Amino acid sequence: MSNRKDVSRRSFIQIVGGAGASLVLGSFASLACADVDDKLKGKSASDKKGGVAFEPNALVRVDPDGKVTVTIVAPDAGQGSRTVLAMLVAEELDVDWHQVQVVQAQTNQTLYGYQGIGGSGTVKSQFPVLRKVGAATRMMLVAAAAKTWNVDAASLKTSKGHVHSADGKKSLSYGELTAVASTMPVPTTEIVLKKPEDFKIIGKATTRVDNPDVVTGKAMYGLDVKVPGMVYAVIARTPAFGATLKGFDDSEARKVPGVIDVVKVGSGVAVVGTNTWAAISGRKALKVDWDMGPNADLNSAKILEQLKGAVGPHKEMPEGGKVIEATFDFPYLSHATMEPMNAVADVHEDRCTIWTGSQQPTGALGQAAQMLGLKPEQITLNVMLLGGGFGRRLSNEYVADAVSVSKLVKKPVKVMWTREDDMKHDNYRTTCHAALKGAVDASGNPVGWSHQTITAEGGGRRGGGGGASAFGNTPDFHYNIPGKGQRQARVPTAVPTGAWRSVEHTIQSVANECFVDELAHAAGKDPFEFRRSLLVNDQASDGEKEILHRLKHVLETAADKAGWGTPLPAGHGRGIACFAGYGSFAAHVIELSVENNKIKLHRAVCVVDCGVAVNPKGVEAQMQGACTDGLATALRAAITIDKGGVVENSWPDFQWMTLDAMPKVEVHIIPSDNYPGGMGEPGYPSVPPAVANALFAATGKRVRKFPIRLEELV
Amino acid sequence: MALFKINVNGSERSVEAVPDMPLLWVLRDLLDLTGSKYGCGIGACGACTVLLDGAEQQSCQVPISSIGKKKVTTIEGLSKDGKHPLQKAWIEHDVPQCGYCQAGQIMAAAALLHKNPHPTEADIEDVLGNHICRCGTYQRIRDAVKAVAGGAK
Repeated sequence: MSNRKDVSRRSFIQIVGGAGASLVLGSFASLACADVDDKLKGKSASDKKGGVAFEPNALVRVDPDGKVTVTIVAPDAGQGSRTVLAMLVAEELDVDWHQVQVVQAQTNQTLYGYQGIGGSGTVKSQFPVLRKVGAATRMMLVAAAAKTWNVDAASLKTSKGHVHSADGKKSLSYGELTAVASTMPVPTTEIVLKKPEDFKIIGKATTRVDNPDVVTGKAMYGLDVKVPGMVYAVIARTPAFGATLKGFDDSEARKVPGVIDVVKVGSGVAVVGTNTWAAISGRKALKVDWDMGPNADLNSAKILEQLKGAVGPHKEMPEGGKVIEATFDFPYLSHATMEPMNAVADVHEDRCTIWTGSQQPTGALGQAAQMLGLKPEQITLNVMLLGGGFGRRLSNEYVADAVSVSKLVKKPVKVMWTREDDMKHDNYRTTCHAALKGAVDASGNPVGWSHQTITAEGGGRRGGGGGASAFGNTPDFHYNIPGKGQRQARVPTAVPTGAWRSVEHTIQSVANECFVDELAHAAGKDPFEFRRSLLVNDQASDGEKEILHRLKHVLETAADKAGWGTPLPAGHGRGIACFAGYGSFAAHVIELSVENNKIKLHRAVCVVDCGVAVNPKGVEAQMQGACTDGLATALRAAITIDKGGVVENSWPDFQWMTLDAMPKVEVHIIPSDNYPGGMGEPGYPSVPPAVANALFAATGKRVRKFPIRLEELV
Repeated sequence: MALFKINVNGSERSVEAVPDMPLLWVLRDLLDLTGSKYGCGIGACGACTVLLDGAEQQSCQVPISSIGKKKVTTIEGLSKDGKHPLQKAWIEHDVPQCGYCQAGQIMAAAALLHKNPHPTEADIEDVLGNHICRCGTYQRIRDAVKAVAGGAK
């Protein structure tokens, strides 16, 4: 954790100034240079091993021994932010990667601006910012060497953490320059970045900085935190969305060894013990009386009827064409992170300390401050590793739980959601009914496209809105089809919903890519060639043309790598699909067969164009992970609603992919100098449709519902 | 509450616990060995896997009272220096994403290779097919195990 002290009194100079840069910095407002005045007065607090550490801004520190410490502002939920963001700084600072260590920033809006991860934005948003941070720091070290040698800074070069004289005869390590560099003015303009051909770290496959700790059990997740005097709590939660607590009898619970208290909190009844098992056992012995509330009869079938009822008339299709229609049903999905929700809070009258893994630490801190009537600076929120995010940890109810219980029992408390709590009280990927209609003319050209996506928008903990849009543009559907249109309608429902990896694209794009396959079949054309022919549009804007070009290229690459059109064993089928979004482009070919009435996956070819692949290892990992998610949700996982609550409890009934069922997953990254796109989400949307399309190729039957059940194919 | 003496990572440890407390919570809450993870508590995910006398065991499924003289090895005790061949392979193959399930995956792989140094693909699938990785690191898990096993037959 950062050992940064109170910084509010320090003066700040923005190192990445200029009108252009400040736009980029909009979400990162105070990427500031700390305590330059202090340093000029010789007050550097960071003396270490007898020397002066160079700490030119909130994110970088160079120690006299040459060690470089990069403070990582973005939480790491497994997307690799701690590695890839440090790479950006290290590249422009021009140090050897092995000199770099990372520390996780505490939550501090003054120092770091908004802290959060989502929308596949970690690299996309920080690419220019952190490179400038590294470059500006390097410029100060170069200026220090120039002053030491009394030469022009422009004549000097750097490499591997050293500044070299023009003739190469003199060199000083960054560590030797820390004291002088600390007196150098902070560059505010003309921060020169490396040319891509000079990159030594960006683009190099780099293993994660946390691996050594992970493989030895030392890595610290929220659930691993233990502080002196801490007690443990689990909460008896509502059995139905909208249910309310009528009363409870804790007489048996309090008899359980290790149970020390039972308290009512906003989310239910907390059983507090001296260890986790005591809290779990105490909760089992607790008798709770619930008023089941207004949703006690709600179930998945009723929700689906509501969704179907909101389908309106399709756009009219041109006369004379061959018209087809299809619908696709999508279930609710839980995020089911491996590490269930949890937080530790230690609430005092005038302060509160929190330890948790959150995708939105800034929001979590603000929420705690509001709950306790404290100022943000009275809250310390330590960001731990996240045992998975996928959008789940964008909301911080579990932090509220820990704050509530700690306030009541006046002790530091760890609140853990059991797996069952986690699965039954998620903010789910919404359920959806998608209705599509399309037409092809006599030559097999598509001449009509109408897509309606009807989703259930959650109430409960997160308010959801209703309403429907008119037919409008098709933001994630780039095929050049005249008169294409999409309409979205939302049906308010009590089941809480939230962002789930790839969000709306998990339904819209999946339905699109299934249905375009059906249109290709109606046109009597090969599904790859059909798509390819639709990714050309001379009338499009330049921006759209670039999208079409890059999307077509990943599609063609996937087909090529998969051997599209080459013979397959009897009973096998290949399916193809593609996706553009989050600034990246992906395409998938899945090969499968049906044997003994079971789907067997043979091969997954995954292609991505994410612009510059800052860490190709990380890009590959995200593609492998998203592919796994796509297969799991195409074939296995679903959340079902009955009696107003969630039916599924844990992994046996919310089945995920397992190693034995995985196909060989191949990832191909398109070389590119384009600005980096996102990587967390783009690898998902084309996987489920590639599975569905492969099933059609293998069986001649179409998917109408996810997860796919062979007996439900039509 | 009762006093139990168990051998964990080569050390004799004394803990006071209720007899039905699963080994997982003994390790995590009483002995501060948090490398073994809670993922479900019902033996369905494998995140809590340890070795019991060298064999794979989901620690959420065994009460402390059943351990007796059996030797418990957790991820913290798999090697003295973090250099077990599987630990090295996991780093080199960059297996972890969020990393939460990986201790369990590594311990299961260690038990497999201890029993069967040259497993087939099917052997690997039999054992690691019972472990969930929500991030989807399966391809790299398979590659890392095979690298240590000298290539599956």
